[in-house]
Amino acid sequence: MKKHFKLIDLDCANCAAKMEEAIKRIDGVNDARVSFLSQKLTLDADDARFDAILQEAVKICKRVEPDCKIDI
Amino acid sequence: MTKKQKKTLYRILTAAALLILAALMPAQGPVRLLLFLVPYAVIGWDVLWKAVRNIAHGQVFDENFLMALATIGALATGEYPESVFVMLFYQVGELFQSCAVGKSRQSIASLMDIRPDYANLEKDGGSDEVDPEDVAVGDVIVVKPGERVPLDGVILEGSSTLNTAALTGESLPREVSPGTDVISGCVNLTGLLRVQVTKAFEESTVSRILELVENASSRKAKAEAFVTKFARYYTPVVVIAAAALALIPPLFLHGAWADWVGRACSFLVISCPCALVISVPLAFFGGIGGASKAGVLVKGGNYMEVLARTEIVVFDKTGTLTRGVFNVTAIHPDQYSEADLLELAALAECWSDHPISRSIKDAYGKDIDASRVTDVEELSGRGVRARVDGRLVCAGNGKLMDEIGVSWHPCHKVGTTVHVAVDGIYAGHLVISDEIKPDAAPAIAALKSIGVRRAVMLTGDAQAVAEDVAAQLGLDEVHAQLLPSDKVDQVERLLKERSSKGALAFVGDGINDAPVLSRADIGIAMGALGSDAAIEAADVVLMDDKPSKIAAAVRIARKTLSIVRQNIIFALAVKFLVLILGALGHANMWEAVFADVGVAVLAILNSMRALHSDKDA
Repeated sequence: MKKHFKLIDLDCANCAAKMEEAIKRIDGVNDARVSFLSQKLTLDADDARFDAILQEAVKICKRVEPDCKIDI
Repeated sequence: MTKKQKKTLYRILTAAALLILAALMPAQGPVRLLLFLVPYAVIGWDVLWKAVRNIAHGQVFDENFLMALATIGALATGEYPESVFVMLFYQVGELFQSCAVGKSRQSIASLMDIRPDYANLEKDGGSDEVDPEDVAVGDVIVVKPGERVPLDGVILEGSSTLNTAALTGESLPREVSPGTDVISGCVNLTGLLRVQVTKAFEESTVSRILELVENASSRKAKAEAFVTKFARYYTPVVVIAAAALALIPPLFLHGAWADWVGRACSFLVISCPCALVISVPLAFFGGIGGASKAGVLVKGGNYMEVLARTEIVVFDKTGTLTRGVFNVTAIHPDQYSEADLLELAALAECWSDHPISRSIKDAYGKDIDASRVTDVEELSGRGVRARVDGRLVCAGNGKLMDEIGVSWHPCHKVGTTVHVAVDGIYAGHLVISDEIKPDAAPAIAALKSIGVRRAVMLTGDAQAVAEDVAAQLGLDEVHAQLLPSDKVDQVERLLKERSSKGALAFVGDGINDAPVLSRADIGIAMGALGSDAAIEAADVVLMDDKPSKIAAAVRIARKTLSIVRQNIIFALAVKFLVLILGALGHANMWEAVFADVGVAVLAILNSMRALHSDKDA
């Protein structure tokens, strides 16, 4: 399943790259993209674990840039 | 400005006032430090807080940490005003970056503001406003004047003019009437339209274009990949160098601690690669946005790079340089009457969707009774073979006639000749001509003027027609009577002849040329509105069918690339210069903060120019 999420208050391009790297490494993620310019997260992950993966992505986002929120 | 940005602005102003006040006070020693700590706390508390928090999260070497370390180091060595000013300027830079990025994002978003909000779904006499996603194929929707067409469809009732500017960059409205296909994203200008939906929302033109543009930033150009890689090494290297600078000379070379720690702090200030990390993708983003404003969709930054190097442009003829609207201009029968020959040809071609077949059917003008036709076989690059009323009819070019062993004679008229043979006996031929697009000749001239070395045309059409077109347009090379596979061979050959730095672009209308589009360094599909195959296969999509847009696309790509190059060279040059001067003790915090924030601001401003590339095109 592939879904887009809006990122709120994503302020730094470097952090976007870090987030992308970390989210890609979550188990079950086929592909992930964090676009700093369009302020969007594109997550392509296993259907069965999608919600769990999303929760993990939210955690990563919080760790890399605490101000930034994923709009679910 | 957003709320967050306004808050930062007030903090900057307050801190600046407090800094001036502190600088004017004639205090000494610890009192002076305290005086400067007030503005420092006002402007820098969040940076310090983020630094601590991020270290706790395992994020070392982030910019907050580096700024915190540098300014605290400056405070420790007694450079109070410098320390506060660096923090202040850093915040000004951050604020500016956030505004600039927000602004370009907005202007690109408004550029791509083609997403329809609702559709008027027809229901038992009335109409209901629904989400376009809930409309199914086959449903009938109503589009009122002033509204955006929400889904692709075909007009059942009503005629109007449509503004396609948001999609094609073309300001001339398009006339539509019942039977015309309409494309989502266009704005209905004058009349009420009843439209039968032919594609679901996710499949419709609007969704495809939006997805294409949104994904464009994920296909990274080499320059972007370089910047990312560079950033990964640059920061740690500079930080380690700073540590060495702070420790080695005082410990082993009898240097003064304050002096060397100061130098190390200015290193830390320069260690953030922000100028590059933000400005380079922003330039590509802006370039892609600017191009789409001109009706050119570039699928990624990487294609921008290739497009800028274009040296050979290979054109398909039909539908690319010519209108692709054929008219039967002559009928030369042997034995048959003109009407009979036309009827035979129209019947034989009745299943084919080739532009030539369509023109024959148009010329025939009557309804075709398809039950009279059996065993239809399309012979790619040659013609068709079918049984009409039980007789074997072959309609196609000279090659087909040779193949079936029918003696034929060429026509004196320039145009595409369709020979017809019935049961192995020559029945005559039809001549079909196409019209050259009015802006094809200027388009080729424009390409030449921007340094494209060769313009080549490939066509399946006859030699005489091809040469006639080539002469009118001033093309360098022309190859006619090619089968689709021959076109690939020709492109392979031309690929070998381009210089190592040059690129070969193939321009086609997306019908039948997918293999060539993908074989070329860069495939350009034109008139691609509504053609999914073309949007899929091409790297660059011209929304309307004007060949002149190719030169425009190359110009935009070149401008974008030159902005990227300027930014990389400028940022690196200033950073390294200040790093060297700083290590030698000739540059202080002031220069360092310029090399960091000042350079970032200038690079971003430069990148924003890419957004307005369409004005030069």
